[in-house]
Amino acid sequence: MSRVGAARVGVGGPVGSGKTALIEAMIPRLTAAGVEVAVVTNDLVTQEDAERLRRSGLIDPARVRAVEAGACPHTVIREDPTLNIAAADDLEAAFPGLDLILIESGGDNLASTFSLDLVDWWMFVIDVAQGDDIPRKRGPGPMQADLLVINKLDLAPHVGVDAAATLAEATAIRGGRPTIACRCRGADAGDGVGRIVAHLREQVLFATAGAA
Amino acid sequence: MPHDGHHHGDGPEAALPVFTAILGSRHDPALAEALHRLEHAHAVDELILPRADLARRRLRAVTRAGREVAVALPREQKLSDGAVLALDGAAALVVRVEAERWLRLAPADAAAALALGYHAGNLHWRVRFDGADLMVALEGPDATYLDRLRDFLETGRATASVEEGGA
Repeated sequence: MSRVGAARVGVGGPVGSGKTALIEAMIPRLTAAGVEVAVVTNDLVTQEDAERLRRSGLIDPARVRAVEAGACPHTVIREDPTLNIAAADDLEAAFPGLDLILIESGGDNLASTFSLDLVDWWMFVIDVAQGDDIPRKRGPGPMQADLLVINKLDLAPHVGVDAAATLAEATAIRGGRPTIACRCRGADAGDGVGRIVAHLREQVLFATAGAA
Repeated sequence: MPHDGHHHGDGPEAALPVFTAILGSRHDPALAEALHRLEHAHAVDELILPRADLARRRLRAVTRAGREVAVALPREQKLSDGAVLALDGAAALVVRVEAERWLRLAPADAAAALALGYHAGNLHWRVRFDGADLMVALEGPDATYLDRLRDFLETGRATASVEEGGA
């Protein structure tokens, strides 16, 4: 019988919204929970995000693979995700005990979505500094993602954004599907990253609700 | 792994029943007879999913009988209507696809049809064709679709109606 492989989770969102920072914040929490994790990064024509993660000291550098999209980032996570599937397959072959592979898209626009042939579940990361109107624009990314993450919560007062109102509006627009606000760097009031990790573990690793 | 493709997880995240293989289709002669017997005993539970979720290899959901379950399939396997996830002498679990809702769009003329086809493709909508009409699968709130069609509908270049049923 075929082995059930590692769960594959997509992390998408605009340039600079904090996708890599979120992964950096999630890795120690996942590791502490005993989850064996690896990462595939996507950049346009470099391996910038992969190098950043490899240098971070948070993860065995061999567990980070880079895909150079070469074109619009969504093409390699939706229209033809072959390169990313191959990278994830390579990681599973090299590390047979993996529980989870995080696949980070290159920074893209609000129309970006993941193919479910590539990932089992995906999140879309935006940040308050990009403006409070992003959820209202109802892009396919924020609307269809299994989880919407609103990052850089601490910046809200500095850019004239009412974080609580934005969060409430995003939740309403998504029909009550999960939206979690967080701060990936510095004090994370409300432990948004911890709640993102707990939610991910519950949804795709099938941890019981409230697991440590 | 047990014969029925059902276990309780492994690694750090062990909790609810996890179904890890598709044993076949409910239409396979080898399975149909056993399922028929269990149906008489009201022992066939159903996992009813939206069509969009068939592409997932991993998900958790509540069955028709109210049981919380998870599915984690090898990447080369894919859920389908009638997929049998568990079957033994006492009980079975079978996937059923929710009836779909479709938006029927009737373009006023050939020019409107061309523009409508381009528009639907640009928005990555899942479509099928029914004569001169374009059928769009409703995979989210109706308003999400109707808002994008406002110009077509307000100018009379197309009319829209929602149809229920059909998987």
